[in-house]
Amino acid sequence: MVAAELHTAAGNPAATPDPGAIRVENVDVTFAEGTVVALKDVSVEIPQGAFVTILGPSGCGKSTLMRAIADLVPAAGGVIDVQGQSPRDARRDRNFSYVFQDATLLPWRTALENVQLPLEVGGAGDAHADPRDLLELVGLKGRENALPHELSGGMRQRVAIARALVTKPKILLMDEPFGALDEITRDKLNEEVLRIWRETGTTILFVTHSIPEAAFLGQYVLMLAAHPGRVKEFMKVELPSERRLADRDTLEFVQITAHLRKLLEEC
Amino acid sequence: MAEASQIPMPVPAPRMSRVLDAVLDRGPALAAVAGLLLLWQGVVWYFEVPEYMAPSPIAVLGAFQDNAGTLWLNFWPTFFEAALGFVAGNLVAILLAIWFVHNTTAERAFFPIAVFINTIPIIALAPVLVLIFGNGFAPKIIIAGLICFFPTLVNMVRGLKAVSPATLDLMRVLSASNWEIFWKVRLQSSLPFLFAALKIASTTCVIGAIVAEWIGSNFGLGALIIEATFNFRSPLLYATVFTAALLAVVMFALVSFAEAKFIRWKTSDVH
Repeated sequence: MVAAELHTAAGNPAATPDPGAIRVENVDVTFAEGTVVALKDVSVEIPQGAFVTILGPSGCGKSTLMRAIADLVPAAGGVIDVQGQSPRDARRDRNFSYVFQDATLLPWRTALENVQLPLEVGGAGDAHADPRDLLELVGLKGRENALPHELSGGMRQRVAIARALVTKPKILLMDEPFGALDEITRDKLNEEVLRIWRETGTTILFVTHSIPEAAFLGQYVLMLAAHPGRVKEFMKVELPSERRLADRDTLEFVQITAHLRKLLEEC
Repeated sequence: MAEASQIPMPVPAPRMSRVLDAVLDRGPALAAVAGLLLLWQGVVWYFEVPEYMAPSPIAVLGAFQDNAGTLWLNFWPTFFEAALGFVAGNLVAILLAIWFVHNTTAERAFFPIAVFINTIPIIALAPVLVLIFGNGFAPKIIIAGLICFFPTLVNMVRGLKAVSPATLDLMRVLSASNWEIFWKVRLQSSLPFLFAALKIASTTCVIGAIVAEWIGSNFGLGALIIEATFNFRSPLLYATVFTAALLAVVMFALVSFAEAKFIRWKTSDVH
């Protein structure tokens, strides 16, 4: 029932709950030749079209989990399945996009040229979205020819989001994308990410260390505990999927964040 | 540089006020230069310094007038050597840097040799090259090139490596090939480093050409400097020195101009 609800909300036509967008099974990730265990026996299934936020204390491996899914670090054990493929094949097929904490725009390229970058490399020849439409989607119509240094931090991150969407990915991996922004900009972008999620039906995995952000954005919150990184809880956020910033002052919202805070303290 | 005309320029302000602004802007520098020239002239007059020891600015100006043809004739060989050395030395340095960045073994093998060549004083190297290549253009171009080579190599290697790990992660997520990373990212991000080196090279290549002309040559500004010195033609010597300095300034200005055209994203960030 839960799944059906969220798929209509996401506007995803493939409403069958079965094949999850991402399946992580007993995954271990180690660094420094196995001496540092970043993730230990992590299992989670991300439903198709869901918005899942990943929350946890620093050092719990939030980013590492994302990087393992994105084929940026190898898993030492276990299985990761992205749209029915290995992370490597999913990366080659452009099944996911990654938004980093840094906008990582190429400073010599205009906003539009930055959005076009994914279409110029990696043998991309598949169906893709119109870069101009995407800049409009992220609210940057008219700034196509601006160079990154002419844009504010929030605008740069909007360009990065447009760039991530240009390959029409089924999954969007967002690794603390608004961590470096001020709170006002961050709130605004949070609302916009929700809007983009509703409009595109993309599965979104979103790492944050802000409790309100995790609760406001996520249909689900994946809570990780540290030392070693492991799953603490995978919980559904019992809020309507159409959310506004003002909803964060409601009693229900505060109850959820209080619950998350309590969980976080136990980690 | 060819794209210069395509870059939209801001609408210029009325001409008179712009000229006035420029003069006011450079006023202190111009006043300082004028003051120093006056001081120089005054000292020469007051102490009655003989002309062969130190000519007055007016005498130097006279030498410029009297020897305009000679200076012009000797300007071109030096310019030619410096420019060709600049192009050759930097080209080799850039290609080597590209090789080093993609092949650590090559870097480990050849970088020490590059350092060794850099430690040889250019003055000491010049006679060796004259013995090998005679006293034509070749040794001068080689020395001008050698003097450019090392700073560009070091800077270019640094520039090509100056790509943030996050950008490399991005390119990996995009499944970009090494060639694409080089072409789309590394080359562009190395440009500020490259131009910093080219600015150094633009003036040192002139030094290289002149030093090489001292050792074995009967043409060029370097040869003219030697000849003027030995014949106590001090005004001509000073005029030649100023001509050489002018050449270096022109080279530097050309590189700065190219930099402004190529790196819009960096220079506009600074001001």
